[in-house]
Amino acid sequence: MNRRHLLALLLLLFVVGTVSASSGDGIPGDADGDKVLTGAEYASAALTYLDSAYMGGSGGLTRTDIRDAAWVYTHWDGKPLEVTDSSGQTVTLYRPLRRVVTFSGESLETLRSLGFDMENVVAVDKYSHEKSTFFPECRDKANVGSIWSPDMEQVLSVRPDAVFLYATISIAACDDIQRKLEASSPGIRVFRFDCFKPATYPGEIRTIASMINESGRGEEFASFYESTMGRIRDGTAGIPDSEKVRVYFEYWFDYTTVSAKAGYNEKTELAGGMNPFATGTGEYPVVDPEAIIVTDPEIVVKLAGQGLAVGGYSGHDIAALEAIRSALTERPGWSRVSAVEDGRVYVIHSDILGGAQHFIGTAYLAKWFYPDRFADLDPHAVHQRYLNEFQGIDFDLASEGTFVYP
Amino acid sequence: MIGSPANRLFCIAFLLMVVPVAVSGAPVTRTLSTAEPGAGEVFTVSLSIEDMALGGVVETLPGGYAFAGTGHPADRFLVRGQQVAFAVMNDTAVTYSARAPASGSGDITGTWEDYLAGSEGRIAASHVAVDGIETIAASAGAEPIASAAQQAASPCAVLAAVAGLILAGRWGGRR
Repeated sequence: MNRRHLLALLLLLFVVGTVSASSGDGIPGDADGDKVLTGAEYASAALTYLDSAYMGGSGGLTRTDIRDAAWVYTHWDGKPLEVTDSSGQTVTLYRPLRRVVTFSGESLETLRSLGFDMENVVAVDKYSHEKSTFFPECRDKANVGSIWSPDMEQVLSVRPDAVFLYATISIAACDDIQRKLEASSPGIRVFRFDCFKPATYPGEIRTIASMINESGRGEEFASFYESTMGRIRDGTAGIPDSEKVRVYFEYWFDYTTVSAKAGYNEKTELAGGMNPFATGTGEYPVVDPEAIIVTDPEIVVKLAGQGLAVGGYSGHDIAALEAIRSALTERPGWSRVSAVEDGRVYVIHSDILGGAQHFIGTAYLAKWFYPDRFADLDPHAVHQRYLNEFQGIDFDLASEGTFVYP
Repeated sequence: MIGSPANRLFCIAFLLMVVPVAVSGAPVTRTLSTAEPGAGEVFTVSLSIEDMALGGVVETLPGGYAFAGTGHPADRFLVRGQQVAFAVMNDTAVTYSARAPASGSGDITGTWEDYLAGSEGRIAASHVAVDGIETIAASAGAEPIASAAQQAASPCAVLAAVAGLILAGRWGGRR
């Protein structure tokens, strides 16, 4: 960063700090400052605003102030809203969220699932920015980079009132961003949510829904999510470990699998799979090709996505996934592997297994692992319903995108 | 096509009719107990409010006319000169009284804001004239805050549109 950049950043810090200091802690119109906006205080604030806006008076309330006061009075009973996020921190909101920045595509997707007005998202991470098919409304929003390489100048320039970061991954990077934001502008609220973990996602859905006054929609979405995941849990309940199907799950890169620490392993196990390499070191251990043959997996699942940049929402390219599968089955010695012999080698795109849509991918895994137990489960229909009812995007899975093969 | 006088007139008439239709759903409408009060007479102005939980209304009376009282709660209205502001809190109606001058005419104008919906607009003007006698006195109306598309149609605009359509029909028939 050269001197000119530093000066620009300092100026931005000053501007944002000024804005936030004037709008941060306190409900607009709360005249006695007791953090409760009474009916009398609200009425007085409304008149003060009208007087200054139309009658030549000189009150200090802006249109945004009175709209925020009305929101808090109506939706939060005139009181601040305390939110405990997935990192355990409690954040107090005195106003509704109107200028949101997301460093997490999963949080962004969840906000959209919950019916949040996407006009109120003013900047997104670079990956979401690039996903113009799935997030077409983000194409023209500001790009704040990634948690590993954040563009702090850009973040501050869009004057956010809230920033979403991850809770339990890349903790150091997210902590660093949070520290910088809170130091530059105490008015910015930083929320930490994962939105991709089966264990915490339903709770996160409900918490975020309460923040944006969409609790009803949150309950509806959480129920939809839980009905799918519950069906999978029920369907695999009671299967003895000795009878679980052996699954070799291969990450984007050849001969790279997942250990018990990886989220993909969690989903494999939720679907009733047994991962013979779960005890490996690191999240994504590299395995000896011979070891795969020795374990003789009954199922092979190959992840397509970032490292194998085909399919997903960006293109309808079944041939590409078919080629990935063929390359697997033609590996030396694999003709003797049960999964290959039985035709149980599958390719799945990370778009539906790694992020907020993990429940769709997990449904596919369950169906592949135990077709009899999940004869009535239709992951394709779950996926289409998610896109239609919760994402609100015009995307026909029959002719667009490629997510699984076969 | 549009260059022909008949078609041009038709377009104008069409626009005049469409614009009012687009705003006919304004949440606040005004009625008067009389549009021709006697000198010094107190008349009633009633504002009907639909689907506005929390909002505000500012009414502006013509010069010479004076606010004379309201049944609205005392802590939810404010008078400044010719203007009266009302804080709307789940109200479906606001009624106030105005006193007519010895003589004079003009428009009662108003603006509204719905704070929860994030919208605002103008209330259609209501003309008043003491004893029905028009004077040159200017209205003390405030500057409009809404776009033209949000303004409600005046009766004159509707008449002009109808007249335009009739004329367009006649001219078009000659071709």
